[in-house]
Amino acid sequence: MNSMGLALAIIGAACASLFAGIGSAKGVGLVGEAAAGVVSVDPNKFSKVLILELLPGTQGLYGLLTAILMLRKIGILGGEVASLTTAQGLMFLGAAMPIAIVGLFSGIAQGRAAAAGVGITAKKPEHNGKGIIMAAMVETYAILALLVSILIINNIAV
Amino acid sequence: MKTEYASAVAAVKAMESTLMTQNDIEQLINTSTKSERQTLIDSRNGDVKNISDVWEMLMTFASDSKELKILLYRNDFHNLKAVLKAMISNRDPEIYYVSPSNVTLEELKKAFRDKEADILPEHMRETARSAYELLTRTLDGQLSDSLIDCAALGAMQKSAADCGSAFMKRYAALTTACSDIKTAYRCSKMGKSRQFLEAAVCGSSELDKEAMIRSALSGVDALFDHLTKSGYGEAAELLKENPAGFEKWCDDVIMELAADARMQAFGVEPLAAYYIAKEAELKNIRIINVCKECGTARGTITERMRKLYV
Repeated sequence: MNSMGLALAIIGAACASLFAGIGSAKGVGLVGEAAAGVVSVDPNKFSKVLILELLPGTQGLYGLLTAILMLRKIGILGGEVASLTTAQGLMFLGAAMPIAIVGLFSGIAQGRAAAAGVGITAKKPEHNGKGIIMAAMVETYAILALLVSILIINNIAV
Repeated sequence: MKTEYASAVAAVKAMESTLMTQNDIEQLINTSTKSERQTLIDSRNGDVKNISDVWEMLMTFASDSKELKILLYRNDFHNLKAVLKAMISNRDPEIYYVSPSNVTLEELKKAFRDKEADILPEHMRETARSAYELLTRTLDGQLSDSLIDCAALGAMQKSAADCGSAFMKRYAALTTACSDIKTAYRCSKMGKSRQFLEAAVCGSSELDKEAMIRSALSGVDALFDHLTKSGYGEAAELLKENPAGFEKWCDDVIMELAADARMQAFGVEPLAAYYIAKEAELKNIRIINVCKECGTARGTITERMRKLYV
């Protein structure tokens, strides 16, 4: 068994969940801060701002999904651990990069957009949907990155 | 990426919906009794009854903000003036003390009573010493007032430059420019000396101090010419025709600055803008109350209303 290949694949899986998770944590944290400000003035707006707070959390889930797919493919989860060459390990590492990097930055950016959306909800609750749509636009790029990561993982011959 | 005060800005945005609108102001003007006005005001303001409540709320979210504290410099220095004069004339300074302020009445009293200016914030120490010395030596209240007023504007500009906020720098420059125009105009009309003008005019990036002094010494018309050439033609026209209109213009210029800042989702600017908006709202209410009590015509009241934030 080439341990270097396996190690690279595991690093890839870790990166996918780590960086996307950091992006989500920062994004959700920022929106949570803004949401707490609104709720301190008007507790009735809790449910509306909660939707906005959830939005940047998806990048972390995408990272987790990518990591699980990779770990399954290399047999760490539910199977026999595959023997990977260094090149295969690098392929897995590369496969993790789209969701790791895009997840990190889009999570933070979506947090900013959603926190600004909290401002809309605070001032004009009837326009809450517009804030959600604007923040959700950032999601597109996280989904595209997830798609690319999944396509690469599925097409690596093990 | 700047994401400061996300919580404070969101809270302020929630409170912006309670600010008075043009419709509310119209309704207030149309009321006939004080109790009707009070009912209307209470229905809008909720827990925020006065500007100290607004400040207290801002401080619960952004107590570490140096930028916001600049908004109170004028109150701080007003209190310095009031306490100094009250103590010298053996009167109780409490009735002259305005809130909110960065410096408590007790601190000010202690600073003068024990001659311990060091307990005051750094930007006030030298002014407190100089004003005390000047007032005890000359007993000229006007001279010491002008020294303190000028120092307040200088401190405001310096602190704004130190904190690096473009919004606060502009706020300080505009406040100083408006104040300098008023001072130069009054001094010019009263034929004050160059020495007095040098102590009273602060100068800013908007209006150069030396040019203002020179034009004020040459007469009111020369001052108006200078203002027109410096981009303050509207202010000059208003000063010529109607000083109350000029006062309104000064408040409106600051409100326009605040209105631009409210679009921001983070940072200290929306917080400062809300404070400025609330100040203008309370000023409008005060004007309406006084005018109604005096039986001022509806048109005149409307004319005096400051620009609104919402």
